[in-house]
Amino acid sequence: MENNTESNVIIEAQNVTRTFWMGEVEVRALRDVSLKIKRGEFVAIMGSSGSGKSTFLNQLGLLDIPTSGTIIIDSVDTSRMSEKEKGEFRLRNLGYVFQDYALLPELSAIENVYLSLMMQGKNKEECQKAASAMLIAVGLEDRLKQLPSKMSGGQQQRVSIARALAHKPRVLFADEPCANLDSTASKQVLELFRKFNKEEEQTIVMVTHEDWHVEYVDRIIRLKDGVLE
Amino acid sequence: MTLIFLQIVLFSSILGGVTIQFNKLMVDYQTGNLVIEPSEEEKYIENTSSLQKKIEGLPEVIGSSARLRNSGVISYQGKEVGTAIYGIDAGDESLVTHLESAMIDGEFISRLDRGEIILGREVSGGYGALMESKSLGGVEVGDTVDVKIEGINREFRVKGIYSTLYSNTDSSAYVNKADMEEIIGVKNRANEIAVKTTSDINEGDARMKLLSLGIKEEVRTWHEFAGMLKTIENTLTMLRNVFSAIGLLIAFVIIFVVIYVNIVNKKRQIGVQKAIGIDQKVIVNSFVIQAMLYAFIGIMLGYLIMHYIISPYTITHPIQIAVGPISLILENFEALSRAVLLFLAAVIGSFIPAYKLSKKGLLELIWGK
Repeated sequence: MENNTESNVIIEAQNVTRTFWMGEVEVRALRDVSLKIKRGEFVAIMGSSGSGKSTFLNQLGLLDIPTSGTIIIDSVDTSRMSEKEKGEFRLRNLGYVFQDYALLPELSAIENVYLSLMMQGKNKEECQKAASAMLIAVGLEDRLKQLPSKMSGGQQQRVSIARALAHKPRVLFADEPCANLDSTASKQVLELFRKFNKEEEQTIVMVTHEDWHVEYVDRIIRLKDGVLE
Repeated sequence: MTLIFLQIVLFSSILGGVTIQFNKLMVDYQTGNLVIEPSEEEKYIENTSSLQKKIEGLPEVIGSSARLRNSGVISYQGKEVGTAIYGIDAGDESLVTHLESAMIDGEFISRLDRGEIILGREVSGGYGALMESKSLGGVEVGDTVDVKIEGINREFRVKGIYSTLYSNTDSSAYVNKADMEEIIGVKNRANEIAVKTTSDINEGDARMKLLSLGIKEEVRTWHEFAGMLKTIENTLTMLRNVFSAIGLLIAFVIIFVVIYVNIVNKKRQIGVQKAIGIDQKVIVNSFVIQAMLYAFIGIMLGYLIMHYIISPYTITHPIQIAVGPISLILENFEALSRAVLLFLAAVIGSFIPAYKLSKKGLLELIWGK
């Protein structure tokens, strides 16, 4: 029973501390945070501004290196990885959705989506097929060749979600994905997350500060002053 | 990039054009393509008429002009100018140089003229002479000047004044060869024979042809007479290289700054690419390739503008400068070397900032922390 439970854990943070220096002032953004996230779980990290929620997401998503502590993803201790190995791990196993979409402006929607697939060594045809399937899944079948600048914020965020999910990552990290969207577009994004979470058992870790987002998630992790509440 | 390429090759072409023009002036108004001079211990070439006949028998030779050259003093209304005075056969000279067409006042001397002289504008003064103070102060056609050669004084009527823009020639004077022979007491001799060859043979080969006729005298190509011109040419070449180097340095800095700013503006984009796992090498390469593409397009555009617009235009509408009309010719080697250097500047200028930025941490790139 214990083994089953352990194999269900996809992310484990062990005593994660992250300290920043602002001039001569030491800012402890995270203090000895430990938690486990199960496979297929949709988790929201919440907290007030400055509580350390984005910093925590960056540690879990291997975008930053904790000052101390360990992040284990799918039984892999990431603290032993080199930067190059982490890059490769992110490319193949993790997906990211950023607050400001972070699409490459020169590339069309489909090109933005298949870029990471191409980097995995897949051929162009495979990439295009997978990318268009994912864009259709997020409801952008009529925008495949459109540049980001010609799309609304909600549409751009959906391209960003398609990009993050096209390579079927083990975990999707989303940092305030609805912060720049109106409530209708926000709902569409959250419903998409919910859909992929339910239908594909996609593990999702999302940072948000909107209370109404909680109805879409399975669990809420609250942070205050860098510690779990 | 197009403008930078044009700036580098344009300046270089102008200096190249000046050099070509200097050489052209010397060939057209003084040396012809080849010059025969007496062998080392001799003062004169003997029996010039038969030698000329022999030379002119070659199909590659258009004409030859045997000249008696002496330094003399020309006086006019109390002013004196020391200068080189040539005794020429007017008909022969016209086959070798363009002196006849360089007359700006009066006429060229003819074979039958005696006691007449033509003066370069620097000797006569006026007519845009550059060294007015060293001239006779404004001699006009029809005036009489006193000429002193080897201690003998003789009066000559000024028949014409010429301007070639070649200072050596413009600082000289020409009289009929028969007059000169009479003054210095020689016959059928010359200090030099200038030879004009057809354009389909180079001077080196033409020289060999002349030597194969059994000529004992020294046969030199005009290049050997460049002397001062060579110094000017070397100076211009040096200037050309210095300006090209400065141009390239400016090009490098401009390209570096443009690409650096471009990359700094895409800092977050680089961060996102790194975050989603795109290899650092791929990110750097994408910027380098982008810069290479811009450089290639810019250079090609510059080359096409120069090759198909500027060069042909300046050939039909030469630029007038002090030494005469010049055309801007783009030499392929020059274009290629400048293009390669600009291309390298683009590669280095893009690689350094792209590499530096892509090495930064994700947090700094994405969130500026």
